[in-house]
Amino acid sequence: MNVTIANEGPKTVVTLSGRLDTTNADQFQNDIAPLFECENPDFEIDCTDMQYTSSQGLRMFLMLQKSVTARGGKMVMKNMNPQVREVFDITGFSNIITIV
Amino acid sequence: MLDLHCQLIMDEFEEKRPVFERMEEIVSNHLRKLISDKGIYVNAVESRVKSAESLEGKLILKGKNYSCLSDITDILGCRVVTFYVEEVDKIAAMVESVFDIDWEQSVDKRKKLDLDQFGYQSLHYICRIPKSLYCDASCPELNEYRFEIQMRTALQHVWASMHHDTGYKSGVEVPKEYLRSLNRLAGLLELADEQFSRIRTEINDYRRQVQSLVADGNFDAVVLNGDSFKSYMQLNPFKSLIDKVAGINQAEVYQDDLTPYLQAFLRIGCKTLGDIERIRRECSEDAYQLSLHQLACTDLDIIAQSVVLQNLCVVYMAKQGCNEKMLCQFFDVVNGENSYNATRAQRIAEQLRNLKFAE
Repeated sequence: MNVTIANEGPKTVVTLSGRLDTTNADQFQNDIAPLFECENPDFEIDCTDMQYTSSQGLRMFLMLQKSVTARGGKMVMKNMNPQVREVFDITGFSNIITIV
Repeated sequence: MLDLHCQLIMDEFEEKRPVFERMEEIVSNHLRKLISDKGIYVNAVESRVKSAESLEGKLILKGKNYSCLSDITDILGCRVVTFYVEEVDKIAAMVESVFDIDWEQSVDKRKKLDLDQFGYQSLHYICRIPKSLYCDASCPELNEYRFEIQMRTALQHVWASMHHDTGYKSGVEVPKEYLRSLNRLAGLLELADEQFSRIRTEINDYRRQVQSLVADGNFDAVVLNGDSFKSYMQLNPFKSLIDKVAGINQAEVYQDDLTPYLQAFLRIGCKTLGDIERIRRECSEDAYQLSLHQLACTDLDIIAQSVVLQNLCVVYMAKQGCNEKMLCQFFDVVNGENSYNATRAQRIAEQLRNLKFAE
């Protein structure tokens, strides 16, 4: 799982690629740690090259969403492939997290 | 131009203004805390120390009535504006319990009006800060100067503000026809205040009645709406189904908001809580089968509880013979309209076709 974080104007764009599962969940948590303290909590998470997410990934997206909401920002996930989107749909996470 | 007597009062005011500003902070903080502690939602809590210009105007008109600054009781004025008439009395009782009231100077203008009169209705208490509430040995005036607390409803406040705007304090007489119109309006606002209170009482009665019917399990008698759905959801009617679905992968359940499902149940034709109960009883097993079909071959061990209600509704719709378009409309209601809902409806429809009950 590769994570890149870039500031694009008023929002922060997080680009994810690869598989997010038990083998790299800790590394992913470290990679996104700066987002929990980011001054500008408006995130766009680009999932174009994300191949899969496990439950650990869902939990981290949920934690990030809560953190963003608490700081008055918003988080949007975009460009999910059908397999990743299916994970969000069958767990009900697409009812919680804004996906476009 | 002020005479010497009034000028001395003005000078005393300028000297003692910081005392009144301290009093303002003490009184307004206590008022806000009292109201908050009692859980009363009010329209406004306001306070002000009279401006020098305003005091000067008062002294020009009525200066002879005051021998010194402490005779003037509204240098510090506070106002609590409530939404309902009954709350004026509640606030008054709270004020009486905290501040020393100068009953001789306090006025209940609501009671001063004759039966055939309408007009300025407000409760004015002239108070002191008791030493038991706040004491500073270096500033005894904090407990000596009096201040005014006005308590009124929002509508009384509107009327009083408009009446004030006619300039009744300026000594310039307003033509009687205008005052008559204003007083007729006071009668109308008094009636409106009564109606607001009556409506609130009726809503509370209705809520208690719904809670009672729900608690007794008399679901068919309860029309589905925001209040009844909230009462129903407090019974955790879907807990066993949610637990059963979570058991598929021993999943953690995230307690997301189920309120949007009120619209979903309305959308699929529920008119009473009894309709939801029938869906719960008749479709829970099939909703579980759908969840089993979706989750059993994965290792996903976290679910949002709303997905269980979603599957319950979807299964009910399938049994009613719904098509993909209707499923898409359902997702539009639950998740808001977006282009993905059609894809989601298509996928769910495929999954439903693989399950026996949908045949």
